[in-house]
Amino acid sequence: MSEQRFAASMLIPGALWLLLAFAVPLGIVLTASLGSTDDIGNTIYGWHPENYREAFDPLFLPVLLRSVGFALATVALCLLIGYPVAYYIARYGGRWKSVLIALVVLPFFVNYLVRTYAWVALLADEGLVNGAITNAGIRDEGIRFLNTSWAVIGGLVYGYLAFMILPVYAALDRMDQSVVEAGKDLYGTPWNTFRHVTWPATFQGVLAGCVLVFLPAVGDFVSAQLLGGPGTYMVGNLIQQQFLGADNWPFGAALTAVLMAFLAVWMVFYLRSAARAASEAAA
Amino acid sequence: MTDAEAIRFEGVTKRFGEAVAVNGLDISIRQGEFFSLLGPSGCGKTTTLRMVAGFEQPSEGRIFLEGDPVEEVPPYHRNVNTVFQSYALFEHLSVEDNVAFGLKRRKVDGEEIRERVKEALELVQLTGREDSKPRELSGGQKQRVALARALVNRPAVLLLDEPLGALDLKLRKQMQVELKGIQREVGITFLYVTHDQEEALAMSDRIAVMDAGEVKQCGTPEEVYERPHGPFVAGFIGISNLLPATVEDGGVRLASGERCAAAVPDGCPDGSAVHVSVRPEKIWLDSLEDGMVSLDGTIVERVYVGTTTQVIVELAPGARLVALEQNTSRAHSDDRWEIGERVRLGWHPEHALVLR
Amino acid sequence: MNAARSPGRAPKPFDRPRFLRAFTGLFFIYLFAPIVLVALFSFNSSKSLQRFQGFSLEWYRRFFEDPGLRESLVASLQIAFVTMVVATVLGTMLAFGLVRARSRWAGTANVLMLVPLVTPEIVAAVSALVLFTQIGMHLSLATIIIAHITFSISYVTVVVRARLAAVNPEVEQAALDLGATRWGTLRLVTLPELWPAVLAAGLLTFALSFDDFVISFFTTGESPQPLPVRIYSAIRFGVTPTINAIGTLMLTFSAVLIGLAIALPRLLGRRESGIGVLVGRETV
Repeated sequence: MSEQRFAASMLIPGALWLLLAFAVPLGIVLTASLGSTDDIGNTIYGWHPENYREAFDPLFLPVLLRSVGFALATVALCLLIGYPVAYYIARYGGRWKSVLIALVVLPFFVNYLVRTYAWVALLADEGLVNGAITNAGIRDEGIRFLNTSWAVIGGLVYGYLAFMILPVYAALDRMDQSVVEAGKDLYGTPWNTFRHVTWPATFQGVLAGCVLVFLPAVGDFVSAQLLGGPGTYMVGNLIQQQFLGADNWPFGAALTAVLMAFLAVWMVFYLRSAARAASEAAA
Repeated sequence: MTDAEAIRFEGVTKRFGEAVAVNGLDISIRQGEFFSLLGPSGCGKTTTLRMVAGFEQPSEGRIFLEGDPVEEVPPYHRNVNTVFQSYALFEHLSVEDNVAFGLKRRKVDGEEIRERVKEALELVQLTGREDSKPRELSGGQKQRVALARALVNRPAVLLLDEPLGALDLKLRKQMQVELKGIQREVGITFLYVTHDQEEALAMSDRIAVMDAGEVKQCGTPEEVYERPHGPFVAGFIGISNLLPATVEDGGVRLASGERCAAAVPDGCPDGSAVHVSVRPEKIWLDSLEDGMVSLDGTIVERVYVGTTTQVIVELAPGARLVALEQNTSRAHSDDRWEIGERVRLGWHPEHALVLR
Repeated sequence: MNAARSPGRAPKPFDRPRFLRAFTGLFFIYLFAPIVLVALFSFNSSKSLQRFQGFSLEWYRRFFEDPGLRESLVASLQIAFVTMVVATVLGTMLAFGLVRARSRWAGTANVLMLVPLVTPEIVAAVSALVLFTQIGMHLSLATIIIAHITFSISYVTVVVRARLAAVNPEVEQAALDLGATRWGTLRLVTLPELWPAVLAAGLLTFALSFDDFVISFFTTGESPQPLPVRIYSAIRFGVTPTINAIGTLMLTFSAVLIGLAIALPRLLGRRESGIGVLVGRETV
């Protein structure tokens, strides 16, 4: 068998599965988003673009905006916390680099629910943090942590930090130290060296991290559900309600389609940069 | 040695998109021959080898192995084996399992496999290393395993893709001698790819000199060296010492003015522009014989390389010749030639080649 | 110290390892504290989340004695196992095809493979749910398994592909040259070189499936339900220490899996370990 025919036969089973079990269903969701429901909640396909209008109306638009806002805040915090940690491990980790990175990754293999639940336990009114506060006499009553935006963002950050640290670490690790040394000679202060040498070299990694954090975060509903309340609902909570509660699948599908739009934006950028890289390599 | 044909290329061309890697190849390789493809990087020699092995298909033309066409035959059904430059040993298998790999694929009987593996390892002088893993071996040893692994299958043709390129000089020279010896002993046709012209000259029965996908000349080492067809072959193999000249009266007149007797090939009328090429070892310095072409020049450089001394003589600005003398009776390089000295050099007319 | 640096400017704290080291130390405390506390309080003899009152295995006992929870544990293990086997096979084949194929379709397949990696889980979950209802399939363990396989394939492909690209192509050509068919080459030469990556990918898939919540939540039937779905329901009812016990168990289990992925290749004579494949994960 020729190499190409063999490669094709290897490619097809997995690709076919992904096509039928992933891509096609995405298409069906898009189609369903234009449908409507009958009395008992079954989906009828049709042309009802008002589902999308509803998604953006004053009742639900804040939820969308909040989701994007939370996700962006999560990205920013993950970057602020994750970059220095990745930098320390890559630059000063030495023999312990692999161990340290393994330690960073280890908590993320604990179930996301359990990790979020741990924060619930910590931040609850009868939880550990409030217990410490009242015992130490800082306040009499304890602080309401849960059911706030910051609790939700905190949960999101805790949930997705690894997705920022790993790509940034990989980029930092790959960087040639001698270039940084040369930069120190050239630019004088450490800040300038960082700005002109280190940051540009690791930018691709940072970008990858931002995408890997933003996309899952914007669709998250676990943090908002467990650490927040109706005032901090994100798109994910809405979608969950439509499918598993209110039985308004077309509307849920429309909301899902809005999330897919973010995905599509990423795809466009990725394809463009891949095409550019390919044409540069061929040149 | 019979005159049967091991490989024949008929009008073989290979294109990769727009680029032409091999252009109109027409060669016939005899059974039992040590045949080399020689040329600079990118000349198409490796692509040609890969087409014989079956890893590439010709865009045009046909290839015949022992008389049979091979277009439809995949690499695992062809009666050829390859020795790769990177050795390509199976790291997870022992030396013995590496060598036995091809035999096992052909369901050869276990007892016979052991026999033949032993034979092959003896042939490459690696007896006793059967249980070693490739990562425990040196470069030269890995190359021997690769050779044994290919030869044990007794293929009709052995393909070698610059197998000695990664070895150091001394080891390379030693392996060249060994390879030649093995080929003679085993009698298998070798198709050898290299960019090292000394290597090709030392080992081959015949050489095909390639450039930009075309065969510029195909012949014995002596033919290719002493009677090169054209300036590329003359320049690629050894030092060519090209001097521009014009044909005049059954001889040539050099650009620097002197008249030389030389064998002018047919089709060169008086006045045509040619090059005169003389091999460095054919140039005599000072003690010339009768009948030699003689010219005067100034010594501008002297390069001592142990067995020989290269003396670079300038006839006129821009016209330099390299002469090679053996250091048979000299132990000091400055015994004879001074830089700046005037010298008379010459050669026998029959040693000068006129190239168009 | 570099004498050529501009004089009169003290190094900013950001560059001194002292600050970074402290920051990183605090970070690890922040990272592990909640988990350590969960583990700690899973052994608490009282229900309190504020005070540790004594060592007890009460909550573990309650977990193992609860038939519903036991059933969920078994269900999660079954799902993870089937997912691991199928996704590893499909994903490895896909990786092989992507590295070797040169046609235009390979590029499309590559994008198709990457999309699940960045798709928000809820989008994947909704799609799966819609798929099953449209084809009339009742939600059950089977639907969960199908959905899990779908999002796992890409992880396997990315991990295996990175390792595959580092294999010397001439080694495979040598195998073909010596008489092995394409399948034989894959079996006898490529896979033996590749197996640490395949193993790491398999164990990663197992862990991801075992831990998965969102997709399971949308595609699960009535019973049995995977463990994370049970945990979610339990949390909604209020924080109880049994959840601490479950969480600690899952943590231990995941840690063991990762330990295996890293240590096994080294134990079995390979010089590489599985940790590299995790960092290479960003080769999207």
